[in-house]
Amino acid sequence: MSYLPCGTYFESYADDQKWWRTNFIKGKMIALVVVLAAAPYIVGAQWMSVLYTINYYILAALGVQLLIGYCGQITLGHAAFVAVGGYTSAMMVLFLPWPQFMVDSGIVYPISIVCAGFTAGIWSVLFGLPSARVKGFYLIMTTMAAQWITLRLVITQLSKIGGREQSFPLPPGIIKIGPWVIDSDEKIYYFSIILVIVCLVVMGNLLRSKIGRAWIAIRDNDIAAETMGVNIIVYKLLAFFVSGFFAGIAGAFWISALFFVSPENYEWFYSLLWVGIILIGGVGSIQGIVFGSAFVVMVFKLLEMSVLTLSDFLMTSYPELGWVTTKIIFFKESAFGLAIIFFLIYEPNGLSYRYWQLKNYFNLWPFSYTGK
Amino acid sequence: MELFLQLIVTGVMLGSIFALVALGWVLIYKCSGVLNLAMGELTMIGGYVCLAFYQRFVTIMPVNYAFIFALIGTIFVGLILGLLTERIFLRKMIGQPILAVIMVTVGLSFFFKGLVFMIWDTDTQVFLPRIFSIEPIVVGGIAVGAVYLWSFIAAMILMVVFICFFKYTRWGLSMQACADDEMAALSLGVSAKFVYALAWAIAFMAAGVGGTLLANINGLNYSVSSLGLLVLPVVVLGGLNSVPGAIVGGITIGILQNLAGGYGEAFIPGSKEVAPFVFMVIFLLFKPYGLWGWERIERV
Repeated sequence: MSYLPCGTYFESYADDQKWWRTNFIKGKMIALVVVLAAAPYIVGAQWMSVLYTINYYILAALGVQLLIGYCGQITLGHAAFVAVGGYTSAMMVLFLPWPQFMVDSGIVYPISIVCAGFTAGIWSVLFGLPSARVKGFYLIMTTMAAQWITLRLVITQLSKIGGREQSFPLPPGIIKIGPWVIDSDEKIYYFSIILVIVCLVVMGNLLRSKIGRAWIAIRDNDIAAETMGVNIIVYKLLAFFVSGFFAGIAGAFWISALFFVSPENYEWFYSLLWVGIILIGGVGSIQGIVFGSAFVVMVFKLLEMSVLTLSDFLMTSYPELGWVTTKIIFFKESAFGLAIIFFLIYEPNGLSYRYWQLKNYFNLWPFSYTGK
Repeated sequence: MELFLQLIVTGVMLGSIFALVALGWVLIYKCSGVLNLAMGELTMIGGYVCLAFYQRFVTIMPVNYAFIFALIGTIFVGLILGLLTERIFLRKMIGQPILAVIMVTVGLSFFFKGLVFMIWDTDTQVFLPRIFSIEPIVVGGIAVGAVYLWSFIAAMILMVVFICFFKYTRWGLSMQACADDEMAALSLGVSAKFVYALAWAIAFMAAGVGGTLLANINGLNYSVSSLGLLVLPVVVLGGLNSVPGAIVGGITIGILQNLAGGYGEAFIPGSKEVAPFVFMVIFLLFKPYGLWGWERIERV
């Protein structure tokens, strides 16, 4: 159904380039948008935070997917760029002397999002510079260095600005887009879903342009790409810039959900988590980011819920086993580690591959070829 | 000037611990091509295991013996853990893409971290009663803490033992052969699986001893693992597949970190942690393959 029916051909390049090539896909996508718009009313209030956390992870993992999945540059320090975005946005909103009419019309925060994107992008290019000369593990090390250096700088330098301690609390009402003050879970969700859709469309369009093709050529074989006339240094740095830009947007969004900025939200753990997300979702696939984020966030949420019920149960029935609940936080971390390992060992293609198989199955149903 | 010399000397001694841990890392990479990001957690496990042994042993024997036996116990546990890790997790990843293998080691690091904290909790723990006296040893006007000196000696002894192992024993030679040319080694009857297992076991043992020594210096908590992670700039500096590079890199990073701690901290707080990484990034711009790493010549 999402394939073209037999015997139907495109008659112009414009048709061939379309995002939604058949009516079925168009209908599917419109249904998806409707579902996304109605999501706050479908799920309960307690799941709203899960929804926008998924969106945040999608935004953050987008840049990781671009670098690892499409440009072949492995990065393990993406949380640093998200941190740069978050801090840029927060400091612009808090400390810059904005004229009153701009504050009233609510364009301060949107401007700060764009600036956050650019700052994070430039910071990312700075650490991408060694990619001109080094590859593989040496490059991984420079991105890791980005993580340590940035986080250290944030903790020792930025966190002290304005007489605040570790975290910058953002006063309520300061995060404002046009006439809307972002103050409830629902508004955060709608804001995030719009950002996610815009970013995914931008990314998808980039990947089918000249730039995207150059990135994919570099990923597949950079020397071959260079001989074909792709300027690999420029395109690698561009990849770093764009991925940093997305990271900055993610960081700037996340402060609106948290109402504060704190270095704990940008630990190395998160860099690894986002790489884990794209591995679970599928490397080199935009859908993979969505699947991976949803999977990871849901697993965390379910683990948390089961832990809560378990600890309630233990507290009421076996008070002497109360120490178990204090240990269980660490169990979560261990379980996540094992999940990554077993995914890589037993499902190396990720969830998007399974989705693709499922789609194919139904496309040809009832004459599906299961392909063993 | 005195401060400078003192920082250098302690730096060399601290660096020798890094060099020991880096040696284990380089071995894994040379023999099996796995880039191990779990090294920090391996050092931390070593510290906690040794502490657990020490607390048992110290009740039944004098302090010094207790520590030595605890160290031997740690090495033994490291051997078993190394063999198990290789067998359960890493053997399935032979021939997979580099990112997958790296992420498996990252998963391992989460797993080990969770495990360690589940068993031993996150509070800072120290070796009590003290093994090394607090009184510094003064040689020619330079005061060196006893723990640094003994760590240096222990790391040096272990390093010599490891190097002799590679040079003169059958197993060590098979590891060298495997690192040099895996195909040729396989065709001559060297078992690659055995070599991989051995490499992981040695890495665990070296990291365990390193972790114990670091824990004696700073106390035992999560920071030991971030110190253990400093092994990464060390190996990058020396070149990924060079044993002498690991030793030189370790000592360089030790000195650098101490100097940054002594002088830089006054100007930029936190420079002690950042300095090795900044140095590494700048170094990579000029020497992309470290000091003695193999340069890869690539063809399409």
